[in-house]
Amino acid sequence: MSESLKIQVERRDGLAVIYTEGYINNQGGEEIARAANELILDGHKVLLLNLQGTKIVNSIGISILIEIIEKMLEIDGKLAFCCLTPTIEKTFHIMGLAQYAGIYGDEAVAVDEMRGGGAEGGAAEDSAAKA
Amino acid sequence: MADSPPDPPTPAADADAPGPRPVDTPPSEIRPHLALWRELESLADRDAGEVAYVRRLLELWREHQKAAGAALYLGRESVDGDGDPDSDSAPSPRELLREISVGEGPFPTSLTADAEPGNGGLTLHRLPGGILAASHAEGDLPDGPRSEVLTLLLAASLRALRLRQQLKQQHFQVNYRVVELESVYDVGLAIAGTLDLDQLSEEILLRALSLLDARRAAFYLRHGESYRLERNYGGEAREALAADDPALEPFLAGKGPAPDGMMPQARHVMGVAIGGQRQPRGLIVVADKESRTGVGPFGASDRRTLSLFANQSAIALENARLHRQALEKERLEREMELAADIQRQLLPDGAPALPGWELLGWNRPARQVGGDYYDLRSREGGLTFTIADVTGKGIGAALLVSTLHSALDLLIDRVGVSPELFNRLNGHILKSSARNKFITLLLADLDSESGEINYVNAGHNPGLLLRSGAGEGDAGEGDAGEVVELSPGGLPLGLMAGSEYRSGSLRMEPGDLLCLFTDGITECANRDDEEFGEERLIACLRRHRDETLGDVVACIDRETQEFAAGLPQLDDETIILLRRNR
Repeated sequence: MSESLKIQVERRDGLAVIYTEGYINNQGGEEIARAANELILDGHKVLLLNLQGTKIVNSIGISILIEIIEKMLEIDGKLAFCCLTPTIEKTFHIMGLAQYAGIYGDEAVAVDEMRGGGAEGGAAEDSAAKA
Repeated sequence: MADSPPDPPTPAADADAPGPRPVDTPPSEIRPHLALWRELESLADRDAGEVAYVRRLLELWREHQKAAGAALYLGRESVDGDGDPDSDSAPSPRELLREISVGEGPFPTSLTADAEPGNGGLTLHRLPGGILAASHAEGDLPDGPRSEVLTLLLAASLRALRLRQQLKQQHFQVNYRVVELESVYDVGLAIAGTLDLDQLSEEILLRALSLLDARRAAFYLRHGESYRLERNYGGEAREALAADDPALEPFLAGKGPAPDGMMPQARHVMGVAIGGQRQPRGLIVVADKESRTGVGPFGASDRRTLSLFANQSAIALENARLHRQALEKERLEREMELAADIQRQLLPDGAPALPGWELLGWNRPARQVGGDYYDLRSREGGLTFTIADVTGKGIGAALLVSTLHSALDLLIDRVGVSPELFNRLNGHILKSSARNKFITLLLADLDSESGEINYVNAGHNPGLLLRSGAGEGDAGEGDAGEVVELSPGGLPLGLMAGSEYRSGSLRMEPGDLLCLFTDGITECANRDDEEFGEERLIACLRRHRDETLGDVVACIDRETQEFAAGLPQLDDETIILLRRNR
């Protein structure tokens, strides 16, 4: 696993996917926040975080992710996560992130759902994605 | 947070003003307040939430200040800490973090409570629990009721925001405690389900990092008298540590610094033993607890959490070790079965028919693959028979038996049963076997017409010839029941280079019974460590010598088992019986 978080961003017709690889801790979380802020400033209101390359996240990383979610709510945007490890998905549910952000097993499903306007809240999409 | 300001003054309140006036015309001194109130009321969009409300209030304040930008800073008691009073990872209470900003800055992310006004081009206005900052403000805060109301509202909003943040932090911390507990529980399940040691090492390392908000971590396993680094993350870690390193014990007890060079790039290191401090199976070391403002040391509750986690890890590691042992055992058993199959192929299927003679070979290995070997090869006018015992058991012994079998196959027809054959076999076994492996071998050749037996015994138990007493004259004859031994004529094969061998000969007469055996028969022991011995074997042979050879073997087997009185068979047992009938 990568030691410091690496980020890659893909912009696709108004939707942006942030790919992470590494530890989402303070430094990693700040990297994600910086990327998300740039995308928001560029006018992106639909963000998908693909965490396939991330095996761990700590509480600082989570608090930063919550701030990004809050920022997206403020601008009436949508944020979702996909490709989480079972441990991270469980953590996101306990920490309440899943109440405000969609959680999907697969990137393609997440993109479809978000483009279809279904990613307002996480819980419904989560169950749909899992089903 | 007050989503909406207090209700505006009612007409009834205006009725107290002196002099008659229209109900909708407020007195002139009230008008600026009322205008401000209506302006503020228009800001209070209940759906936008309190942050948006405060942002608008701040924007209004900025305009009033004629500033390019404005920012609200709030003091925080503990933003991301673990609530542990021992931890200094939480930001200082004197530090105020930027919560909301509008317009142009620059506004730093944090200010200290004693920040000087004008510092960084900002005008600072202190409020209870916070600071209002304006960039490029034109002079001091303007006086007047409008300014007072705005400041008071911002102060009230600030307090509400602060309470909301505290609540949010507490909620976060409670949730994260649940995550920690779940993690410790999950570790028991997840890493107990991970039986691969490499994967387990990674799981333990990553979960420790995450659980403790650590920036770096290292995982060591005990190997003999030292701990060896299995995995590390976030920076270098010492490759190995002596188990008796004097710095280790106080460090693991939280009473001393980390041993030298354990994690050279780390500032704050904490470690716990896996599986208790008396006989630790390994170490988990974490370093530099993260907060939003940097890294700090770990607290007492962190140590408790890591210890709990280490206990779970110890169980998982033990499971993995047992699983690895079981797999190894299974693999060995499969190999042994395979070797046993090969060895079974080396043993004869039955005894060749020899007119005027009875012949029987019998073998029972103590384990799946034994070190005993026998062979019965007929040749024109006679028979060659072999009995051998290789030191040890298992695959090593089976391989040596196989080597002997092949060598005999190649040489016996060319060289015959002779000291020369044994010299060559000895050289071959010496080259092919480990230093501590050797073979005892008794090889005999029978002329079935004359009854003449020519043999060489390389350190094997002497064969026993029970005379019938019917013979006369030359070598080999004797009194009824007399026992003649086929004694060794040299050292076991593979024991010493250049060993010399002597052959012996005798003649079997009608009624004579020859018994070749391995030490598994005579060294079969009872609970008093007494061996069955050659005397009991001879007595048994004498008692049953007239029975069929199968019955004779069955009697020997029964008597040795009765002698052992239920103790398991520890060594291979092999018998060859040969009787001359005419």
